Amino acid sequence: MNKKIAAFCLTLFLGSTLLAAQTIDRFMFPVTTGKLKNGLSVILAEDDSLPVVTVAVAYRAGSIQDPSGKPGLAYLMENLMFRGSQDVPSREHFNFITRVGGMLNASTSEEMTIFYQTVPSNQLALVLWLESDRMRFLDLNEASFEQERKLLLDVVHQKRTSEPYAESQAIFDRMLYIDFPYSHPMLGTEEDIRNLTLEDVREFYATYYAPNNAVLCIAGNFNKPKASELVARYFETLPRGKDVNFAAEPFVYAKKQDIQSTEDPQALNPAAYMGFRVVPTAAKDLYTLKILDYLLMRGRSSRLPRRLLSPDNKIAYQLSGGIDQRGNRTAYQLFVIANNPYPYWINQCQNAIFSELEKLKSAFPPEEEIAKAKAMFKMDYLSQTATSSDRAIYLCREFFTLRNFLDLPLELGNHWKVTATDVVTIAHRYFNTDNSVILNVRTK
Amino acid sequence: MIRKGLAVAWALLGTSLMLTGQERFRKIQPPPEPFQELRLPPIETSPLLENKLRVSVVTREKLPLMSLHLLFFDGESSSPVSAPGTATFAAHMLIRSTQLHSAPEIENMVDSIGGSLSVAVFEDFTIVAFYFLEDFLDQALDLLSQLLLQPNFTEKEIRSVKSLLSLDFLEMEKDPVFVANRHLIRMEFENHPYQNWGFPRDAVKNWNQKDLLDFFDRHYRPNNAHLILTGNTNLQNATRKVTHYLNTWRPRDFRATPFPPIPLPLKDKVCFIDVPLAKYCAISLGIQIPSALDLDPSALAIVSQVLGGTANSRLFMNLRESKAYANYAYSKIEFYKTGGLFSAWARVAPEHVYPSVQEILKEIRRIGKEPIAPSEIDQARSYLIGNFPIFIERYDDFSERISEITAFGWGSERWSKPYDLILLASPEKIFAAQKSLLQPSIIVIAGDKTTLMERLREFDSIDIYDSKGILQYTMGRERSPS
Repeated sequence: MNKKIAAFCLTLFLGSTLLAAQTIDRFMFPVTTGKLKNGLSVILAEDDSLPVVTVAVAYRAGSIQDPSGKPGLAYLMENLMFRGSQDVPSREHFNFITRVGGMLNASTSEEMTIFYQTVPSNQLALVLWLESDRMRFLDLNEASFEQERKLLLDVVHQKRTSEPYAESQAIFDRMLYIDFPYSHPMLGTEEDIRNLTLEDVREFYATYYAPNNAVLCIAGNFNKPKASELVARYFETLPRGKDVNFAAEPFVYAKKQDIQSTEDPQALNPAAYMGFRVVPTAAKDLYTLKILDYLLMRGRSSRLPRRLLSPDNKIAYQLSGGIDQRGNRTAYQLFVIANNPYPYWINQCQNAIFSELEKLKSAFPPEEEIAKAKAMFKMDYLSQTATSSDRAIYLCREFFTLRNFLDLPLELGNHWKVTATDVVTIAHRYFNTDNSVILNVRTK
Repeated sequence: MIRKGLAVAWALLGTSLMLTGQERFRKIQPPPEPFQELRLPPIETSPLLENKLRVSVVTREKLPLMSLHLLFFDGESSSPVSAPGTATFAAHMLIRSTQLHSAPEIENMVDSIGGSLSVAVFEDFTIVAFYFLEDFLDQALDLLSQLLLQPNFTEKEIRSVKSLLSLDFLEMEKDPVFVANRHLIRMEFENHPYQNWGFPRDAVKNWNQKDLLDFFDRHYRPNNAHLILTGNTNLQNATRKVTHYLNTWRPRDFRATPFPPIPLPLKDKVCFIDVPLAKYCAISLGIQIPSALDLDPSALAIVSQVLGGTANSRLFMNLRESKAYANYAYSKIEFYKTGGLFSAWARVAPEHVYPSVQEILKEIRRIGKEPIAPSEIDQARSYLIGNFPIFIERYDDFSERISEITAFGWGSERWSKPYDLILLASPEKIFAAQKSLLQPSIIVIAGDKTTLMERLREFDSIDIYDSKGILQYTMGRERSPS
């Protein structure tokens, strides 16, 4: 069906409920967006290759929205969403989906909490029914709350007592992001969780789990008019929630290097966190940083893995990192564990990393290296949309991230335009000592 | 005041009645639409090329990605008896380097086409899996041809691969689930070539250049391989390109030695294998089904689904939801060229190891003896039919399914009509599949010996193995270790 006609059908079926349906042209697959009167944003992405459909509902309710002094609330809320609603008994959501062969999951990030389920395409109505019920009529009672809080306490206790480097990660996040919304641990501490109350949860749900704070994406094999009719049926009468101001406060980082150290009794080898704060001067900075990330860290042949993990000269046991975006805060982070318990080795690792960053600043990367970085980026970019669930998650995330969702088709091309000169410029701009935050982790 | 309260109450009641009337649909699960037909692209296969390689193509147009699977019809069971693991060793050596390009250069070439290159070695076959951007089909085939025609099996490269795989094993051996599964394979196929698949880490030491060259020369031949391309291409184009890049890869005649029958255990056997410092305990149970190839595979799949396919199945519901013994408990059926192995596995807390084993055995005996209720069968069919297209949505699972069907020679119906086969499995065939589970089983428990020892005394008889998989002693209720 012609895309323009499809957009018209959507408007026709939803009548006055859907405001301003728009079709995004020139993208890899057809995408139509619109909004219900209650503020619920809707994205439809059709693909008829297999009889499968994914429904994802994302709420702008990530850990950034945890109220001050209440870390872990967004994550706890995610788990409570499976504890039953007005017409769906506790934990039955899972059973409804798996009985028809479907799969489901949820995740909380700094920016959003997303729930998604993939089912045979004839079961679309089932998922919309389930999602609408818990968007409006979630059963938040003392028993469920206590059970989920206890489970979360167990997870956090387990993490603290048995996961090396978990505590130091929290310290590093505070050093790098400073402000509470961006720097607190997603799951909270045991003390934080004990202090949470059912009232906190009810307040959080009432504020953020409302149609006007959510995006609903249907991706896969569906009939667009029928899907639009079902969306209207299950969602249009849900009342709009209160308007929340998401405007991020402006911030200025002090231009000063911050180096600290800590001891981790769980750690077998010393490690180091290294972060560079990024304050993009233009959108292009982030496209360049992404290609730079592929050049430095992605694939087996990129610069840092080759320098630190090569079997012939393996100085690091583990190396991870990349671009980290939390709302309007961005950083380039690296985490390295030495391949040896002696402190000298972690210094070697840090020196190797700084030396590679300096190299990047002092010479233009060869064209073939830039082309390789772009090829790897393209593969990962396309893989984000390989299945209906990948596609739905990707679209929800981009909906909350992009300044203008209609710019979606430009994303791949914008990365493609990055040049070697851009990469060197960005390396100079951000990979500086006075812009860096370093946390050294000692073993006991 | 009272009158005002009554008015509010009436208003609320009226509103709720109106809502109920308007939104009664919220009270009930919506019925499904008619089931949509599954139309999969056909597997198109070429005649044998001049060098006796066969090529198949499955066209997938939606994304500009391509998958190339080079399937060899030999796996770990073809490793020499004196050097188990040689098939795994050879597969990793194949993709590491060539006489012209070092390992880092090969990695660079793979990254340059947005690719990933890996190998998977099973009992009966081996897959070289290559994913890349579709613009680079020529580069991918060129690289594959270099790997096959100019392998680099120098002592230096051999040392590197042995060291890397040894470290991988060292890491995996911290996981009781891995240790239990590997030990189960060794027990199930004792003194049979399939035992090779569970080779121990120490086997790495025995890998050598001579066995490697011999294995490569014998098995990595076009007449023992099948190349499967998935993506936006057609058979004619693919065959032309494959011929261009691989025509100098020469066939060699060889005669595969038929495998002896798999020895079956005469009674249930329980083993424990030590995983020092493990925080939890893994249970792996296996039952040989020599008649698996004569049974209806869809009936077997339904039985396994009812027993342990998902978190709604009997094992999970019993061991986790009802008894709270386990984090999870599942089961599956795996096929070999000569039969099948039913396996069940669970991750449990150490204090629940004995009752967990009893519950798993109880569920298996129950399903072996009692016909499954029609509603449960319908439920399993519904899951299997609904889940299949979700499972193959992912490029790697899609390609792997095709490779598996090709490796076992299952025929195109297993690909094109999976729904029909599941629906056609009759109650009689399902019950025959159920009864096949009434065989002696081997149970392997893996965990930290120091925390589990007292719990293990609850078993009538249990063989105790050290962390290297060497039998230490047998412990019974009457007998204790000296």
